[in-house]
Order: sequence, then C-alpha cells, then structure tokens
Amino acid sequence: MGMIGCEEFLDQLVPWMDGERHPGARAHLRDCKTCRGVVEDLEAICETAHSFATAEADPPVRIWTAVRAQLEQEGLIRSPRRGWIDSITQGLEGIPRVLSRPALAAAYLAVLIAVAFALGRPTDTQVNDNSWIRSTRSSTLPLSAQLDTAEEAMVSSLGGLSTLASASLHENLAIVDNYIDLCEKGVREDPQNEVARDYLYEAYRQKADLLAQMNERGDDGR
Amino acid sequence: MARAKRTETGELPEAEAIRLAQQGDAAAFERLYQLHNRRVYSLCLRMVGNTAEAEDLTQEAFLQLFRKVSTFRGESAFSTWLHRLAVNVVLMKLRKKSGTESSLEQITEPDEDSGGPRRDFGAPDLRLSGSIDRVNLQRAVDELPPGYKAVFILHDVQGYEHNEIAEIMGCSIGNSKSQLHKARMRLRELLHEAVRAKAREARKAAGNASAGEG
Repeated sequence: MGMIGCEEFLDQLVPWMDGERHPGARAHLRDCKTCRGVVEDLEAICETAHSFATAEADPPVRIWTAVRAQLEQEGLIRSPRRGWIDSITQGLEGIPRVLSRPALAAAYLAVLIAVAFALGRPTDTQVNDNSWIRSTRSSTLPLSAQLDTAEEAMVSSLGGLSTLASASLHENLAIVDNYIDLCEKGVREDPQNEVARDYLYEAYRQKADLLAQMNERGDDGR
Repeated sequence: MARAKRTETGELPEAEAIRLAQQGDAAAFERLYQLHNRRVYSLCLRMVGNTAEAEDLTQEAFLQLFRKVSTFRGESAFSTWLHRLAVNVVLMKLRKKSGTESSLEQITEPDEDSGGPRRDFGAPDLRLSGSIDRVNLQRAVDELPPGYKAVFILHDVQGYEHNEIAEIMGCSIGNSKSQLHKARMRLRELLHEAVRAKAREARKAAGNASAGEG
C-alpha cells in the first residue's frame, strides 16, 4: 500500500490503535504532524485510563452485609449464620495461646452464647425494641467482656514489642473499638434492624481477628 | 454433598463456588462476591461518578446475580455474565435518571448531533500529552453518553477484549470497536476544550493582573 492521506488514515485509526500497523498508515504518520498529534492524544488517553485500574478501591463491607441480609430474607441461601459464626470462632482461635485455661473456656462460652443468640433470636416482628436490645445485649456483653480480657492479656504479653509496633496495636484497637461503639449506637437506634446487628457482630469479629493477628505476630517475633 | 475442592490457600475456586452457590451455599455466595466485588464496584463508580450510587448499584448487581445464579450454564465466562448484569443495572439507572426510556441501542449509538465525535483532527498545535491526568479524564468520562462510557471503561480501564464487550453489551464486535473509537475521540474533544478553557482563564487572570498594575 502506498502513501495515504489524512482521511484514509482516520479510517484506519481503529485498527492502528488495536496495534495493526499498515505500512501506508505508518508512512503517513511519519510525515503528518496533525495525525501524529491525534494518535499521541489517543495514546495519552488510553494510558491514563489504564492507570485508573491501579487506583481501584474496595467497596465498603456494608454492601456484602446488605446483600447477604436480603438473600437470607428471600430464602436464597441456607445456613446463613455459618459465615460469621465461623469467622468469630476462627478469630478467637488465635487468642487462647496467650490466655489462661479458664479464660480460654470463657472465651468459647462467649462464642457459644453468641451462636445461640444468632440461631435463636426472635423472628416475631411484633417483639418490641426493648426486647431486641435486651436480647442483643445479653449475647454481646459476655463476648465483649471476653474480648476485653483477651485484649488485656495480649497487651501485657506483648511488652517486648517495639514502640512502633505497640503504637500500631493501640491505634488499631482504638479504631476497632470506635467501630464497635458506632455499631452499638446503630443497634440502640434501630434495635430490630438485622443489618445493624450484623454490623455489630462483624465489629466484634474484627476485634477478635485483630487480637489473633497480633498474637501471631508476637509469637513470630519471639 | 461432595466435599468442596479448595485451592492451596484454602479458598474455593470460582467454578466450585458457582456450583455450590447454585445449591444455595452461603459461603460460596460470599466467595463469588469476594472474587468480583472490586471490579463491579469500580465499573459502577466510573459509570456514575458517585460513591453512594455506586454502592447501591453494586448491591443491586450482586442481588440480581445471586437470584439468577442457578440459571448460569457456563456458556460465557462468569465475570462476563456478571458484568453484563452490572452494566444493565447501571444503564437502567442512568436511563431512569435522564427520564428517557431509550433503548440500549440508542444510548450506545448517539447521533452525530447529540454527542457523537466530529470527524476533524483538532488544532495541530494542541497536545494532550502532559496535560491529562486522572481527574480531568474522569471529568471528561462523566460527560460521555452512557453507551460510550460503558465501552470505554470496559476496554480501556478494565481491560476487556471486544468479543467480551460485545457479549456484555449485547452488540457486535464491530459495534464495540466503533463505540470505543467514538468514545476516545469524544474524550479528546472534551479534553481539548478543557485545556483551551484553562488557557483562556489564565490569559484573563494575567490581563486582570496587568490592568491592576497599570
């Protein structure tokens, strides 16, 4: 193919941008500043667009919580509570390594209470808000107390940590405690809201996960 | 039920998660969500440019997916199938927002008078290279017609091939290529306009400053 003009080059712009470089188009581009400008612009656009992919953010956790709640409501998923029960149980698995035997037993007792609550919580929509608050509190208070015990044990057992690691631990604990406070507030404001209660359980699970992770790091560092 | 096969990291492979999700397994649903939520959320976010709306659309897309997962037969890749659902959810939303009941064909084929790229090369002395960044490109993408926008995001941001986009958008491969080209050319126009507007403002500011000095 011989030398082509700007109009013809424009017709070949789509295959050119897909990497098909015909000799005629190549020759035209070498001599035509205007068409070279178009190609350079399109390449700059593509390059910047590719960089969007590296800046992708994770969606907030609440989307999955809401999707799961809706699927449960529609009866599309079975054993709906296993997910978070497993998560809490797994999260607490790492903690006992720094706890005494009675504390270990109590930690699992707390998990059992939470599980019993999740499986047996009232479904009657006529149940009043106070009943929901009492019910939620009766299951979460022991869990919260055991997490506090685990936290104290963890903090005292990691005395050998560097100042930086210790500051990071305290900062992360403060974040997760703040999250728990927010979730508790959400449950108090709307006690029958299943999603709000799920957030609260998720917040406790996150604290259990954090303590377990710190325990593992502590073990690794020793 | 047969024991679920897992990867070396203990996670369910996608095919296994699909099979279990079709039987209503909660953990399998969660696994599928984990595998794809980032890309779907990103697509929604780029399409609507608003985090709250993107969250709602991501939620809706996954709900639709899980409601229909039992009908998935593996004729196309799962991610293609999911993206087709997500794109439809977003386009439906944009259609409702604009108050028009236009067809998918119409929003992917705007006529030349209403947003299609003009067939010109622009000022030869103006170059985007160096003046284009993520912020002004996103601003220009926000101004694209929905169909152009979807094809551009799927191809140039998310890296889908034209045959996959054709499946996602329900159009031909040629149509996908043509939409992408028009989208890029329209973006170029919008970015050139932005560069010119910025230059005008700079000249105006310089003029005001020198008048103030005089």
